[in-house]
Amino acid sequence: MFTIFSATHKRLLPLIVAAFAASATLPAGTAFAEPKQGGSLTSFSTGYRTLNPGVQSGAATGAPGSQIFAGLVTVEKDYEIAPYLAKSWSVSDDQLTVTFDLVEDARFHDGVAITGEDVKFSLETVKANHPFGRSMFGSVESIDVPEPHKVVLNLSQPVPGLMLSLQPLLMPIMPKHIYDDGQDMKKHPRNMEDVVGSGPFKVEENIPAERLTLVRNEDFFIADRPYLDRIAYPIVKDPLTRVLMLEKGEIAYAPFSGIRPNDAKRLENVDGVNMTTDGYDAIGYIHYLELNLRDKPFSDRNVREALAHAIDTDFLSKVIFGGRTVPGTGPLHTGNPFYSADTPHYDADLDKAASMLDEAGYPKGENGERFSFTLDIPSWAPQAHVPMAEYIQAQMAKLDIKVELRRAPDFGTWVKRISSWDYEATMNGSFNYPDPVIGMHRHFDCDNIKNVIWSNTQGYCDPEMDKMLDAAAIETDFEARKKIYADIQAKAQQDLAMIYMPQDFSATVYQDGIGNLPDSPFGGLAPLTNVYLED
Amino acid sequence: MVKSAPVVKSVLRKIASILLLLLAVLVLNFVLIYAAPGDPVEALVGEMGGATPELIAELRATYGLDRPLWQQIGVYLGNVVQGNLGHSLYYDQPVTTLIASRIGPTLLLITTALFSAIIVGTILGVFSAQRRNSTLSHFVTVLSLAGFSAPVFWIGIMLILILSVSFPIFPISGMSSSDGTTSTLGYAMDVAHHLVLPALTLGLIYLAFYSRLARTSMIEVLEADYIRTARAKGLSRRSVVYKHALRNAILPIVTFAGLQFGQVISGAVLVETVFAWPGLGTLAFDSILRRDTPTLLGILFFSSLMVVVMNLLTDLLYRRIDPRIKTS
Repeated sequence: MFTIFSATHKRLLPLIVAAFAASATLPAGTAFAEPKQGGSLTSFSTGYRTLNPGVQSGAATGAPGSQIFAGLVTVEKDYEIAPYLAKSWSVSDDQLTVTFDLVEDARFHDGVAITGEDVKFSLETVKANHPFGRSMFGSVESIDVPEPHKVVLNLSQPVPGLMLSLQPLLMPIMPKHIYDDGQDMKKHPRNMEDVVGSGPFKVEENIPAERLTLVRNEDFFIADRPYLDRIAYPIVKDPLTRVLMLEKGEIAYAPFSGIRPNDAKRLENVDGVNMTTDGYDAIGYIHYLELNLRDKPFSDRNVREALAHAIDTDFLSKVIFGGRTVPGTGPLHTGNPFYSADTPHYDADLDKAASMLDEAGYPKGENGERFSFTLDIPSWAPQAHVPMAEYIQAQMAKLDIKVELRRAPDFGTWVKRISSWDYEATMNGSFNYPDPVIGMHRHFDCDNIKNVIWSNTQGYCDPEMDKMLDAAAIETDFEARKKIYADIQAKAQQDLAMIYMPQDFSATVYQDGIGNLPDSPFGGLAPLTNVYLED
Repeated sequence: MVKSAPVVKSVLRKIASILLLLLAVLVLNFVLIYAAPGDPVEALVGEMGGATPELIAELRATYGLDRPLWQQIGVYLGNVVQGNLGHSLYYDQPVTTLIASRIGPTLLLITTALFSAIIVGTILGVFSAQRRNSTLSHFVTVLSLAGFSAPVFWIGIMLILILSVSFPIFPISGMSSSDGTTSTLGYAMDVAHHLVLPALTLGLIYLAFYSRLARTSMIEVLEADYIRTARAKGLSRRSVVYKHALRNAILPIVTFAGLQFGQVISGAVLVETVFAWPGLGTLAFDSILRRDTPTLLGILFFSSLMVVVMNLLTDLLYRRIDPRIKTS
């Protein structure tokens, strides 16, 4: 990440990319064939409020957004950073200055040349408007544009995850000449209408209720790319309808397909339809049981350990999720570059759990119960959270703990309860994102105990943990940083700040005959520049 | 001329009561949504992927959610009177624009389903009423029972399984294909192709209802004295059934058609969601999930307006069909 990348000329890049693609492991069933130009790929969308990933996180905006906008770099297989709009870059010895040289003949979809001023504007916009803006670019103190195609970032402290944040998904290069008109970027009309991007595909048709159609950007700065002529995203919200469309081939490529393990079985049996769980490492979608640590009984760590002994996540992942997902061992997803498996593990042991509860002062009462609590179930991932919650309820009953399940009727109701800390326990889940500073620190920082959803809503605070998080945030040596995160994961699991459930079953479903599907850990959120259709 | 004064008066009274009713609906909807836990900004911020308390406070102030309830209602009512239904929090567009862009597909779906159901249902009902113990009559009974009890999304999924997956005749979802057909006729054909399954799903529910209604109503009328008289006069069976009986039996059907047409949106929500039909139903569904209060209020208001207007029209239509109402 800290070496200087050699200049990659426009004509050279395709060769490098082609060589790269050939050496990469391709999804099963993909034959080696000469990529060819043309064809239309149908994906899908669950609906989006903006097409500009600079002001909105998430897959609904990110998947098409990464096609419409280019970034300084792309993230390839194994988190390797590759040149994109930046043909090369260098990092100063003190890690506080990063200089980018831009591709010189790149243009926005309206024909205006892309310069360093656009990069500066984009980074400032993301920093101010993206939900992760501050955690990604808070340490970017100033940005200089000494030459039209040179950009210098001046940092107040080293930012180890900086390069990962410079991909189109998180820092799309936006046209300054269109957006810099004083309007609020989050609500700028051009985020939805007549969107002008810098990426391999242009918006042809954007009917938010019906579909989004992207067409090939003929003037893309990488010669002879992209291969596809168009990508269509019909809006399909109903998960069952989606499964049927996948089965019938009406959707050819579905990252974040939202299918359940049962659907996976059904789809696997269909000729010409493939499924993979690759491409979700970077997003790192984990699930957990969040306990409100402010009140008894969950303020007592021993009670939490008793619960951990009663909840057999192995059983959950093997039986309830059909072995299609793995148990969580801590706050990081197994695909995260800083993942460590070396964390305390709590064996399934109901007897031990019962005696721990006795010792903690929660013996079986006269009503036959130790205590009771309400377990909230959010509305946004019922396929994962409902079976988990029902399993927990059953296991708790074995310990004479009465659990009342409360399913939120809608997103707002659940958000209100959790963000105002007015809950006892909730099923929850969140994205890691590849750099733990973005996705993980928020749940553990003492400073982040806020009335904001997906902050440290459970109220965990430990000075030692804070110190480690601060150290990890600025450590630029990968191995040293990995070591700190290993300690953090062990500590989180030792303190049982949360009880980790099986990781999410995230799957991409795709038809035969699609070549070069992205092998980035970001999967379908990466640019589809090299994807082609076989004959 | 002499007669027109009371008519005008009754129409005016009707309009006044309609306005009061709409006002009550607006206030009630507003209070109900206000009383529900959670607010739109939290949902919005959650969907953005989390945010700072400052941003939340800023958004609340932007949307006026930090003001007391009575002020919020006051502002809202004032806006509605001026024809402004507010601004969608999620789509960031005027609610009237949003509703206008979605009403077309819903009307297309509803009118197709409802009119086919009324026509086919009436025919089935009339036939089965004449031969009460025939196979057709039993079929109609079973059909209406099934149509009544089966959940609409289940019927939808079943129709997709049969007519899109097993026998791929119709597309599974959407209103048009994405392959960019340019000619108007081609587009119309494409939409019609997509319309069949959702309209059939919704139509089956209505069909169950109208065939049953037509059957019951027809049986009742056929037993009336004036039908016996008509028969005794020696009129042909055809003339008795279609001229004398049907004209009377059709009254309840018109009533219900009017009422149901007003309830377009409630009927469309599930069907539109299953078939990804880009109408008001999906918009309503989304705005509920996303706590897009202005949009939801707008749709609720719009649909109550539809109910009221359709009731009024039914009333007028009634006067044409049934001379007794004119004189009474």
